[in-house]
Amino acid sequence: MSPADVNKEHPLETKAPRLSIKKPQARYDKQGEMPDSERVEIAMKNFVRDFGAHVATYMESCIHCGMCAEACHYYVQTGDPKYTPIWKLEPFKQAYKREMGPFAIFYRMLGLKRKVTVEELEEWQELIYDSCTMCGRCTLICPMGIDIAALVAQARHGMFQAGLVPHELWAVAERAHREGSPLGATPKVFKERIEWLADDHEIEIPVDKEQADVIISMSSIEIMKYPESIVATAKVLNALKQNWTIRLDGYEATNFGLLSGNSQWQKETSMKIIDAAVKCGARLLILPECGHAYGALRWQGANMFGKPLPFKVVHISEFLAENLNSGLLKVKKVGKSVTFHDPCQISRRGGATQAGRDVLKALGADLREMSPTGNLNWCCGGGGGVITIHRADNLRYKVFEIKMKQVNDANAEMLVTTCSNCRQTFDDGQAHFKWDKTANSLLEMVADNLVEG
Amino acid sequence: MTDNMTLGERLARQGISRRTFLKFCASMASLMAMPPSMAAEMAEKLAGIRRLSVIWLSFQECTGCTESITRSHSPTLEGLLFDAISLDYHHTLQAASGTAAEHARAQAMQDNAGKYLLIVDGSIPTGEGGVYSTIAGISNHDMLVDSAKGAMAIVSVGTCAAFGGIPKANPNPTGAVAVSDIIKDKPIINVPGCPPIATVMTGVIAHVLTLGTIPDLDELGRPKVFFGDSIHDRCYRRPFYDQGKFAKSFDDEGARNGWCLYELGCKGPTTYNACATTKWNGGVSFPIESGHGCLGCSEPDFWDKGSFYRPLSTGEWGSGEILATGAAAGAAIGIGAALAARKRQDSITGGK
Amino acid sequence: MELLEFARGPALMWSLIIFCFGVAWRLVGILLLRRKPDLSEARSRATLWGGIRTVFSRIWVRKEFQSRTAYGAALGYVFHIGLAIVVLLFVPHILFIKDLTGLSWGGLPNGVIYATGVITLIALIIIMIRRLTHPVLKLLSNFDDYFSWVVTTAPLLTGLLATAHLGARYETLLGLHILSVELFLVWFPFGKLMHAILFAVSRGTTGALLERKGAAT
Repeated sequence: MSPADVNKEHPLETKAPRLSIKKPQARYDKQGEMPDSERVEIAMKNFVRDFGAHVATYMESCIHCGMCAEACHYYVQTGDPKYTPIWKLEPFKQAYKREMGPFAIFYRMLGLKRKVTVEELEEWQELIYDSCTMCGRCTLICPMGIDIAALVAQARHGMFQAGLVPHELWAVAERAHREGSPLGATPKVFKERIEWLADDHEIEIPVDKEQADVIISMSSIEIMKYPESIVATAKVLNALKQNWTIRLDGYEATNFGLLSGNSQWQKETSMKIIDAAVKCGARLLILPECGHAYGALRWQGANMFGKPLPFKVVHISEFLAENLNSGLLKVKKVGKSVTFHDPCQISRRGGATQAGRDVLKALGADLREMSPTGNLNWCCGGGGGVITIHRADNLRYKVFEIKMKQVNDANAEMLVTTCSNCRQTFDDGQAHFKWDKTANSLLEMVADNLVEG
Repeated sequence: MTDNMTLGERLARQGISRRTFLKFCASMASLMAMPPSMAAEMAEKLAGIRRLSVIWLSFQECTGCTESITRSHSPTLEGLLFDAISLDYHHTLQAASGTAAEHARAQAMQDNAGKYLLIVDGSIPTGEGGVYSTIAGISNHDMLVDSAKGAMAIVSVGTCAAFGGIPKANPNPTGAVAVSDIIKDKPIINVPGCPPIATVMTGVIAHVLTLGTIPDLDELGRPKVFFGDSIHDRCYRRPFYDQGKFAKSFDDEGARNGWCLYELGCKGPTTYNACATTKWNGGVSFPIESGHGCLGCSEPDFWDKGSFYRPLSTGEWGSGEILATGAAAGAAIGIGAALAARKRQDSITGGK
Repeated sequence: MELLEFARGPALMWSLIIFCFGVAWRLVGILLLRRKPDLSEARSRATLWGGIRTVFSRIWVRKEFQSRTAYGAALGYVFHIGLAIVVLLFVPHILFIKDLTGLSWGGLPNGVIYATGVITLIALIIIMIRRLTHPVLKLLSNFDDYFSWVVTTAPLLTGLLATAHLGARYETLLGLHILSVELFLVWFPFGKLMHAILFAVSRGTTGALLERKGAAT
C-alpha cells in the first residue's frame, strides 16, 4: 500500500517509535457532498424547527446533577461519562439557548453561547445514535422530569438532514423509503411469503380485502426472520372469527424514518398504513411485535394524519390480553416458569406494561419477574436503530450483559418478550456469548397454545 | 476660677474620709475593667492632682447629656468627680451668664493653654454659615475651632456631638455635623448615647484624669471598655433569643414573661453601649429590661435607619406594587422574547 | 452610606425587583413558545392529575435507581432540607419573610439552626468536591454550576460568620450576609437556580404527557 493511498485526514506517523495514526478519533459517517458549513446550517434549521415550549422547558430545566447517567445502560456498563444521557443533547441544548431561549439575543450578542460546530456534530453522532435506544430510563430518573429520550429523537432530525447518520442506519432507512421495507420485504416479497405460509400451514390469510374490520401490520424483522408471527397472528384472528385483512399497500410497521431522524419518511411510512386502514374502513389496527412501531402509530400516527384516527390502534399484546381477559380467546395452560422482558416502547414508554403479563397469566405460566421489571426493566440495547450500527456491536454486547444477568437471576425455564427487535437483539447476543437462553415470542406462545373452537 | 488645691486636700477639707475615697477609686477601676491593683494607683494619682480645667461647650443639644451626667447613683461619686475637675464653663451648671460667662471661658483657656479638657455636647450646624446656633453672637463652628486650639483632648458627649445625632437626621435642615467632622488635629473621644449613661461619661473623664491618656478606642472613636460589646451580646434576655422565644406585641404573654424584643424592633445586635451591663440610674434598669427594644441610640444615624419597631432582619424593599410592576415588565419582555424567538424560528426554518 | 444600610435599603429593593423581573421574563419566554396539539387517542384523560402527581413523585428517587444514586441524592437532600430549615425556621428570617409577604410561622431554637447551618455548609463543600471530581459531573459542569454554588454557599457562610462574630465587626458581616442574599436573588432568574420554579413546570409537563399515554411517570 503506497503512502499515496493513505487518508490525508489521518496521516501516518512513520517516524514515531510505534506506527500509529495521528489523532485517532471516533469514526463518524457522512452522507452527501455538502460543505461543512452547510451541514451545520441545515442541522441548526432542523433543530430549531423542534424548539417549542416543551423542548424549551426541558432544556432550561437541566441542573447538571448527573443522575441520568446512572439510569443509562451505556454509562452503567462502561463508566464512560460521555454516555450521560443529557450530554447526548449538548449541541441541541446549546443551539436552543442560543437561538430560541428567553435570553437568546444576549447570548448571541455577548458571545456567551457559541455556535455549534460541525466537529461537534460529528463527535456527537455516536452519542445520538450508537449509544441511545430512546429507552426512557433516563426520563424516569431525572429529578427535573426531563424527557431526555424524546429529545434524542428530535435531535436526530437535525442530524439526518445534515447527513450525519451512521451509515448502516441511513442505508436501511433509505431502502425502506425506496422499497417499502428496510430488509427487502417489498410488497411482492411479502405477498409471496404470505402465500407460501398460508399454503404450508394450511391457514387462511386474507390479503387486500376491500373492506375489513381489523387491519394488521407486520414488521420486516418478522417477515424476513420470524415469519411464524404472520401465521400466529392469522391463527388468533381466525379463532376470533374476525373480519380481518393484510393490505399490501400499507403493512410495514417498522419506521426507520423515526429511527434515523427523517420526519418526512416517518410520516410517509405511517401514512401508508393509515391510508390502507382508511381505505378498507377498518375500525381496529393491530400493531405487530415491534416496539417503536407502537410509538410511531399509536402515539404519533394521528399527528402524522393531521386529525384523530378513525380507528383504534393496539399492540398485538394488548389485543391478546383483552381477548384472553374477556374469555373470547382461550388457551391451554403452559406449565412452565417464564420471565418477561419488557420492550421499552411498549411498557415504559407505551403504557401497555400489563398486557404481556395478562397474557402470561392466561397461559397459566409461572411468572418469575426479573429485577428490575415492568416500567423499570433494562433495555435490550438494540432498539432505536442501534442494532443496525455495526461499529456499535461491542458496546451493545457490553450492555447485553445486564440482560443476561437479569434473565439468569430470574431462574425461569422460558424467556418471553413481545418485540421482534428485542428478540433479534437477544438472538444476536445469545450467539455472541454462547448463552443458553432464547427469547420467545409472546404471540407465538399464544398461537401455539390456542384452544380450538 | 481654678484654685490650686490638690484633690486630696479638697476632699479632706470636705470631710470625705480616705476610706470613702479609696472605695470610689476601687469602683471606678472595676467599672473600667482595670485590675484591682489599679485602685491604689488611681487613689494616689487622684489625691495628688491639681484640678483639671474642663470647658464644656453645648451646641445644638437638648441638655439631655447634662441631665444624665448629673443623675448620679451616688451624689458623692459625682460630687467627687466635680471636685476633681474645675468645670470652668458649662451653660447649665455655671453661676455666671452673659459676657461674664464668656470671659470665664476665655480666661480658663488662657490660664490652662494646652492642658484643659474640652467636652462638647450637641451637634454643630454648618448650614448658612452656621447661623442656626450661636452663642454670644459666635457660631458654634467658630467657637469649637477656637476652643479646640488649646485643648489637650476633646470628649464628644452624646450622639449629637459624636455623630451628629437628632439634628443630623434626614433632611438635616441645619447642616448639622459631628465634632470629628470639624476638628481633625486633636484626640477626640466619642461617648455617644442619647443620652450616654452617667457612669460611662464619668468613667471616661476619670480615665483621662487619672492616667492622662486616651482610653482604647474602637473604629468609631468610642472607648472599647464601654462600647466594645453589643447590647445583644450582653443582654440578659439573650437566652430567650437563643431559644426562639420572642414577644410579638408589647403586652402579650411573651412581653410579660420578659422574652426577647427582636421582633418588636430591638436594635441590640448592631448597637454598642454599656446599657446591658452597667445599666442606668445606678444599675436599676435599661430600656430592654423595661420592656422596650433598643433604639440603637449610640450608633451614627440611628434616626435614619428605619422604624424602631421593625426588626433588624427587615429592610426597605419598596412595595408590593413596585415588585408587581417589575414582574409585569419582565413578563412583557418575556412575551417579546417569545415572539422574537418564534419569528426567528420561522426565518431559520423557512416557515416550517 | 454604610454597608449595612445599603444592604437593607436600595440593594434590597433593586435585587427584589430584578428577581421578579427576571423570573417573569424567563418563565413567560419559555411558556409562550409554540405548542403542537396531540391528536392521538388518550389512554388516560387524567393529565392534570398526572402532572401534579409527578411534581411530587419525583422528589423521591425510585427504589430501582436508589442503589446507584443514594450518595448523591442524600447529599442533595441534606443540603436542600438543611438550607430550608435555616432559611425558613430561623426567627429573624421568618420576620424578613413576614415583612415581605405577611406570612409567618413558628421558628426553631437558634442552636438547632446553627448546627443545621454547619451541617448544610459541610454538605455543600462535599457537593462541590464531588462536582469537581466525579467524571460525569466534571464533564457536564459549566460556569453556571460553579457560580450558582458560590451564591448559594455565600449567604450560609456569611450568616454563620456573622453569628460567630468571626472575621469582621458584626454589622459588616451582617451587611455582607444580606448583600450575599441579594446576589443570590439577582443571579436566580439567569442560571440553574431557576430550577426552584422550573421543576414544577418540567415535572408537570412530563407527568401530563406520559399520563396521557398511560406510561410510567
